[in-house]
Amino acid sequence: MSQNAPIENAHLPAGTRPFLEVRNIHKRFGGVHALRGVGFTIVPGEAYHLLGENGCGKSTIIKIMSGALVPDEGEIVLEGRAHRALTPIQSLASGIETVYQDLSLIPNLTVAENVALNEQLVSGGGRLARLFDAKRLRETAATALAMVGLPTVRAFLNTVVADLPLAARQLVAIARAVATRAKMVIMDEPTTSLTRREVDNLIRVVERLRADGVAVLFVTHKLDECYRIGGHAIIFRDGQCVEQGPIESYSKARIAELMTGRKIEAARYRTGRPGAEELFRLEGFGRPPAFERVSFTVRRGEILGITGLADSGRNELATAIAGVVPASEGRLFVAGQETRVNHPRQAIAHGIGYVPEDRLAEGLFLDKSILENEIALVVRQLANGFGVIDQAKGRALAAKLSQDMRLNTTNLDLPVGALSGGNQQRVLIGRWLSILPKLLVLHGPTVGVDVGSKDTIYRVIQQLAEAGMGLVVVSDDLPELLQNCDSILVMNGGRIVAEFDARQADEDGLYQAMLASKTETVQ
Amino acid sequence: MNPAPLDLVDAGPRPARASRLRDLVARRPEAITFVLLVAICVAVSVANPAFLQASSLIDIGRASVVMGLFALGVFVILAAGGIDVSFTAIAAFTMYSLTVLVSKHVPGLPMPVIVLMAMAGGALLGTVNGLLVHHLRVPSLIVTIGTQYLFRGFLLSFIGTVWIMSLPPQMGAFGRMPLLQFEAASGATITLPMYFLVLPAAALVTWWILNRTLMGKAIFAVGGNAGVAARLGYNLRTVHVFMFAYAGALAGLAGIIHTCANRQSNPFDLVGTEINVIAAVVLGGARITGGTGTVLGTLLGVLLVVVVNSVLVLVGIPSTWQRVVVGGFILLAAAFFVTCQKKS
Repeated sequence: MSQNAPIENAHLPAGTRPFLEVRNIHKRFGGVHALRGVGFTIVPGEAYHLLGENGCGKSTIIKIMSGALVPDEGEIVLEGRAHRALTPIQSLASGIETVYQDLSLIPNLTVAENVALNEQLVSGGGRLARLFDAKRLRETAATALAMVGLPTVRAFLNTVVADLPLAARQLVAIARAVATRAKMVIMDEPTTSLTRREVDNLIRVVERLRADGVAVLFVTHKLDECYRIGGHAIIFRDGQCVEQGPIESYSKARIAELMTGRKIEAARYRTGRPGAEELFRLEGFGRPPAFERVSFTVRRGEILGITGLADSGRNELATAIAGVVPASEGRLFVAGQETRVNHPRQAIAHGIGYVPEDRLAEGLFLDKSILENEIALVVRQLANGFGVIDQAKGRALAAKLSQDMRLNTTNLDLPVGALSGGNQQRVLIGRWLSILPKLLVLHGPTVGVDVGSKDTIYRVIQQLAEAGMGLVVVSDDLPELLQNCDSILVMNGGRIVAEFDARQADEDGLYQAMLASKTETVQ
Repeated sequence: MNPAPLDLVDAGPRPARASRLRDLVARRPEAITFVLLVAICVAVSVANPAFLQASSLIDIGRASVVMGLFALGVFVILAAGGIDVSFTAIAAFTMYSLTVLVSKHVPGLPMPVIVLMAMAGGALLGTVNGLLVHHLRVPSLIVTIGTQYLFRGFLLSFIGTVWIMSLPPQMGAFGRMPLLQFEAASGATITLPMYFLVLPAAALVTWWILNRTLMGKAIFAVGGNAGVAARLGYNLRTVHVFMFAYAGALAGLAGIIHTCANRQSNPFDLVGTEINVIAAVVLGGARITGGTGTVLGTLLGVLLVVVVNSVLVLVGIPSTWQRVVVGGFILLAAAFFVTCQKKS
C-alpha cells in the first residue's frame, strides 16, 4: 500500500474506475529477476497490447494476473481492493479470463465441457462436491460458440477437443474466455494459427466484448493486428514496463526499438545474388489433392520464398521435399541428378535439410542439452568403431555451431527446453549446419520468435546463401519473405499461382494472389 | 448480430461406412470388449453347453464382485491419469484387522457397522495415498508400490499372520445370505448371494459421481492434463485425495466381502492380483495414460477376465493357459484401440 506512485492513467476517460491495477510487481525465479517493478492499469472496455521480446516477463505478469503465480513484491488492486496475490479461482471469479498460448484445453473433454464447465466450477467457488448441470453446460457453450463463429449443433458440442483442427481449438479456447461474464480477457498470441478470415472474425468478437465493457489484453508479435484493433500499448523490456500509450502514436520501428533497446532496420536483408549453377529442381511435383504440378528451380546461393494460406498446400509441399510425407508424382533433381525422397533419411543423404514449423514437437529434443541437439545428425561420424562418441570432438563442433548461430549462452549442457523460442530455432538451424546441406528448407523459421531473434535468424539465412547453400523459406510472414528472398512463389489451392521478384513485390500483391479464388488465374 | 459460423469444422456425421465403425470404436471402445465377451460366450456354449447352466453363470457373477469393486476404484484413478497398485493391500489390511477386532474385542458388532468401518478404514488408507501422491509429486505408481509394501508389512508385523478359519457369526451369515436360491438338476442348491448386489450398487454410485458431479468432470479433466486443470481452477489436492480415498473405500468393501464370502480371513490373500484388475480395466477401454473410459466398459472388462478364467476349464484348456489368453487379449485390444485412435 505504501508506494502510490502515479501510474500512467492519462488514457482514462473521466469518471471511469479502473478494473484492475498492478503496482510495482516483482518476481524472481531463482537468480532470474523476471519482473522488476511493473505497473499498469486496466480500464473496462479498453484494449491493451502487451508487447515485448520473448523472455521479457509478459507471460509472468499474465500468470500473476490469472492467479497461477504469486508475486514477490507489489500488489494487485482488483475493483478497488488490494491483494498480495490472487488464486486461480479468485481471479476467474472476479472476471479475469485468460486464453493461454498453449490454449489450455483439456484434450479428452468435449467442446461443450471445455467451453462451459469452468463457468460452473467458478460459480461454485471451486467446490467440487456439487452436481453438474448438463443443460446449463450446453446452453452456455452454445452462446459462447456462436459468439466466436463456431457451430452450435449437438454433434459439435459433443466432439472431443483432441479431434479438432488447431484453428478450431484456438477458437474454442477463446469461446471459453467469453462464456462467463468476463470483465477482462487476456489473449496470449491468440491468432498464431488462424487464417485471415478467422482473424477478422476474432477482431469482431473483440469489438463486441469492448462494447459490453470488457477489457481485452493482447500479447502478440503481430503488430498489424494491434494497429487494426487499436487501444493502448504496454511495452516491456527486461522485466520492466518501458513505455505505455495509445498504440497509434508508435510506429512499428519505434515499438521494435523500445522492445529491444536497439534500432532494428526493416530494410531488406538480402544483399547477395544467386549463382548460376542449379542445385535443386522440381518438375510436376505433387501429392494430390494437397498440392500438384509444382515446378521450380533453386540455384546456388538462392533464397526462394513460398507462401500461401494455411490450406494452400505450402505445408504439404515443404514436408514432401524433406521426405517426411513423400510426394506421389513428379520428379525431383538434386544437382541435376534425378532422385527420390521417400524418407527424411534419403533427403539428408542427398543434402536436403528441413527445419520444421513445429520445432518443439518435430525438431528438438527439449529435455536434452544444446550439445546433444546440435550433434544429433552427426553422431555416427563422431562415433568410433565401438559406437562410442568422441565427446571432445562433439563438444568442439557444438561450440562452433552455437557461436556461428550466435546463441545467447555458452553453456552447452543447458536443456534446449529452457531456451527462448528464438534460441531454440537457432539450435535447430545450427544442427543442420553440422552436415552442410546443399538445400535447406526452412518452414516458418520465425514463428513465435521475437524481433531481436528474427534479426539474428535473418542474418544467418543470408550468410548461408552467401556460402552457396540454396534456401527455401516457407512462411506466411510476408515482410519476412520480402526482406530475405530473391523470388517468392505464391501457392493457392494446391498449385503455384504466381511468382514475384521479391525486390519489386509488395504485401498487397502477394495477398491478392493468396486470396484469389481458385478458379481465377492470377498474374 | 452473430457472425456466420465458419466452415472450418465439419460437424456433420461422417459418411463412409468403414470410418463409422472406427468412429464408434474410437468413441466407445467398450463395444469391442462387449463383442469379444459375446464371442467367447457363444464359442464356449457351442463347445460345452454346460456353460449356459445357471450354476456357472452364478459362479461368474459371484466371482466378479471383488474384482469388480477393485476395478471400479482403479478405473476412477486411471481416469484421472494415476494408477494404484496398493488397493489389494488396503483390502487385506482392512478385512484382516476388522476380523481380528470383531472376533476378539467386539463380537456383537452389527454387520452394517462392520461394512461401514471397512469402507472408512479403506478410505483412510486411500487418503494416505492421495496426500503422498499430491505432496511428494511422485508418480502414483511409485507411491502406491511403496504404500502396498507399507500397508502389508504393517499388517503382517503388527496385526497378525494367523489364518482365521472361523469368522464371527454375523460375518459368516452375511456371506451366506441368499438373494436367489434354487435347486439345480443335479440336486445341489445354487445360491446367488445377497452381497452380489453391492457391485451394481457401487457401479451406479461410481457412474453417478463421474457423470453427474463436478468432481467427476474434474477427475477426467485432471486425467486429460493436470497442469491445465490446475490453471483453470480445479483443486488438484481435493481431486487426488478424493479419488484415492474413494478407491480405498471400494477396496475396503471388497476386502470384507472377500472374507465373508470365503468364510475365513487370510492376511496373505488378495495381494498379487493387482495386475489382473488393472488388465480388466484396460480391456474395458480405459487408456492407461488416463482421461478416458467408462464404468460400463470397466464392468465388461471385469466380466471378460472372469469369464476367460472360469471358461477355460469348462472347455478343457488347462488353467495355466489362462494367463496366455488374457495376455493375448490385452495385446490385441491395445493394438486395436491404438489403430483406431491413430485415424481420429
